[in-house]
Amino acid sequence: MTIIQPDCPQRRLACRALALPLMLAGVGAPLLPLAAQAAAPALERRVKAAFLYKFLGYAEFPPQSFADAATPLSIGVVGADDMAAELTRIATGRMVAGRTIAVRALREQDLEQPVHLLFVAGEDAARTARLLRASPAWLTVTECEGCLQHGSVINFTIVDERVRFDVSLDAAEKKNVKLSSRLLTVANRVQKGAS
Amino acid sequence: MSSFSLFARAGVALLSCACAAQAHAQPPEPAVPLADFSLEQLSDIVVSSVSRQDEPLGRAAASVYVIQGAEIARSGATTLPEALRLAPNLQVARIDTGAYAISARGFLSSLSNKLLVMIDGRSVYSPLFSGVFWEMQDVALEDVERIEVISGPGGTAWGTNAVNGVINIITRSAADTHGGYAAAHAGAAGKGASVRYGGQLDGGAHWRAYARGQDIDALDGDVARLGSGGLRRQQAGFRVDWDAEATDVTVSGDVHDGRQRARGVQTRTDTSGANLLGRIEHRIDARQSVRLQAWLDHSRRDQSGIGAQRLDTVDLEAQHLLRLDRHALTWGAGYRHSRDRIDNGPLLRFTPAHRSLRWSHLFVQDEVNLAQDVRASAGVRVEHNVYTGSEVLPSLRLAWDVDERAMLWAALSRTVRAPSRIDRDFYVIDPLRPDAFLVGGGLDAVAETARVAELGYRAQPTPALSWSATVFYTDFERLRTLERAADDQAPPATYVLASLGKGALRGVEVWANWQAARGWRLHAGAVLQDVDVGREPASRDNTGLSFLAGNDPRLTWSVRSAHDLGPRLRADLALRYVAGLPQAALPSYHELDARLAWQVHPDLEIALVGRNLLHPRHAEFGTAGSRQLIERTVFASAVLRF
Repeated sequence: MTIIQPDCPQRRLACRALALPLMLAGVGAPLLPLAAQAAAPALERRVKAAFLYKFLGYAEFPPQSFADAATPLSIGVVGADDMAAELTRIATGRMVAGRTIAVRALREQDLEQPVHLLFVAGEDAARTARLLRASPAWLTVTECEGCLQHGSVINFTIVDERVRFDVSLDAAEKKNVKLSSRLLTVANRVQKGAS
Repeated sequence: MSSFSLFARAGVALLSCACAAQAHAQPPEPAVPLADFSLEQLSDIVVSSVSRQDEPLGRAAASVYVIQGAEIARSGATTLPEALRLAPNLQVARIDTGAYAISARGFLSSLSNKLLVMIDGRSVYSPLFSGVFWEMQDVALEDVERIEVISGPGGTAWGTNAVNGVINIITRSAADTHGGYAAAHAGAAGKGASVRYGGQLDGGAHWRAYARGQDIDALDGDVARLGSGGLRRQQAGFRVDWDAEATDVTVSGDVHDGRQRARGVQTRTDTSGANLLGRIEHRIDARQSVRLQAWLDHSRRDQSGIGAQRLDTVDLEAQHLLRLDRHALTWGAGYRHSRDRIDNGPLLRFTPAHRSLRWSHLFVQDEVNLAQDVRASAGVRVEHNVYTGSEVLPSLRLAWDVDERAMLWAALSRTVRAPSRIDRDFYVIDPLRPDAFLVGGGLDAVAETARVAELGYRAQPTPALSWSATVFYTDFERLRTLERAADDQAPPATYVLASLGKGALRGVEVWANWQAARGWRLHAGAVLQDVDVGREPASRDNTGLSFLAGNDPRLTWSVRSAHDLGPRLRADLALRYVAGLPQAALPSYHELDARLAWQVHPDLEIALVGRNLLHPRHAEFGTAGSRQLIERTVFASAVLRF
């Protein structure tokens, strides 16, 4: 993990310059399978980031989640600084339901901060379950198989090479978050009841 | 220090520019920021080109160019043939209002007969002449996921019509087209509108339905009053997709209706048709899957004073895919039955006027990993037709992954074009001797054969640059010729059709894509080819092989630029060159298409499109005196999603 020191812009730029080519090596290689496999994450991350932003617009958070009318909608991202960066880019200058959007890249120890939407990156179900329990976030989004069982409200899956998502209505209800029917229409699967 | 800092910043800017470009290079290129996509659109972005069942096209040992749906939208094309101009390995020449000559690897003609065209697995070629009536083919371009254009033989996989190429038009699953879409365009040369709506049923099935209509204005001929009439057509259709655990079911259908008005010497043409297709794909386990497909097609084409044809086709196909350790084995069988009924006109005749045509085939293909980086694919297809019995179409392909960024491939194939109605049953009455024929059928016509060798290289030397080059050689035998008939020909005729032509085709296809900067993509492609046709010693063709009808430009090239001028403004330019056609001395031409689009709102886009901007009018095909002139046009379009 590259450690970024915010007080040194030159070094930060140099680090980014070094890290980016490594991270994105082989990106955008529709012609070559190996490169394409390496490429997939970058676009997948960007699509997921766009989804996270869109989710805010299709969720209704309880009034007590906002201190006042000026409180921004907050998104916390654990374990995916690239997505946090992408989300920051997206959020700049955009508003959802009349509120600005604040994006935070969270470390595991920062999980107690309340956020409206928490995204836990990674396919490790046990780790994800642990992090979900530690967070007071309203709308939780994950990307591991079977993670709806561990209490997340929305879980990304890949179906036919496309980013889709499953929704747990029970978890949403427990968290007191209302999801619009439009979101549920697009969902790959909607779980309700004991399932 | 400050100069170092400047240098560092410039370097970083360049790097991040290149990196951003890499991120953008993945198709489909987002025309708007991803965050402005609808939920449905986001759900529709293919994030990996590695497919489960179909061989990823990037690995295919063949010359394949894929036109992405997003490319079609950005080109401003309003008809299918115009969209096909995006493929560098196709020659597209507009003949008149709705008719096109389209071919890959030579033999460009209004009767181009060596190219197979499929829409969602349904062949749209006419068994009347093994070609496509392009004016009858309309597709909801907004719902096209991609068009795979394979230049070169595809006979083993696709059958006896895929001699020089295959065009495979694939529309999106109904699961990917939820919501509403409405588009309209209008300008000096025509207008059109289309609307689509899709959603999900209670049982989980996804559906969409669409309707579209188009008016294409008449063209002027190079000789006054010899123009071609305006074309008007309507089409509507639906698609239902149901994905269960291990089974995917697709049902789709279309109805269409069109007419081209009479003008000059051209008489009025009425066309109509309907089709219905069903497909089931079932994954038996991790190693096996089966695919069953059936379709029905009815079409009618009535050219007043020339003749009318009604055609009904039913097609059944089954395929089984089995993956073993190093092998991927596909085998299958199919059966097609066509029944046509022709109302012959005063001069042109198809005899018999009713005919049932049947094709059946068996095929097997195995792809095997010979070594870690070497793959071979061998296959054979045996296809039976009513004219020449069984034809054998084998192919052998080898691919070598030179490194993870480059692939070298080679292929040897033998492929066949089985005779169609026009090769055997076509008669032209001699206007001077009503009891005799000018063309008296082709009882001796047999299948044309082609033996093809190809060598190709594809590489992506940097993440932002990819290119492909293919050299090919084809040896043709038994090409169709128009022979002087024997004196004792019964019934008396001046000419008969036979198979005494031969030919050789050699050439090279190259294309490249370069993401020059974030939001700026360049594409270039070129085909250089030489088609050399001749006669067997026994041939008595004294028509200059006119019925071989190849009229091919030696060189075509195109350059395109897709530029995002800002978050909401996009500019597209496409310049193409087509060398002169040898027969009828059609001059070469350059033409430029341009499109400027403004994303007013995430759900609304308006655009201004100019086509053929360099000249007031130009001709693309035909002999002097009967050529149609294609005019410079400008039109406006709007797209609304709801």
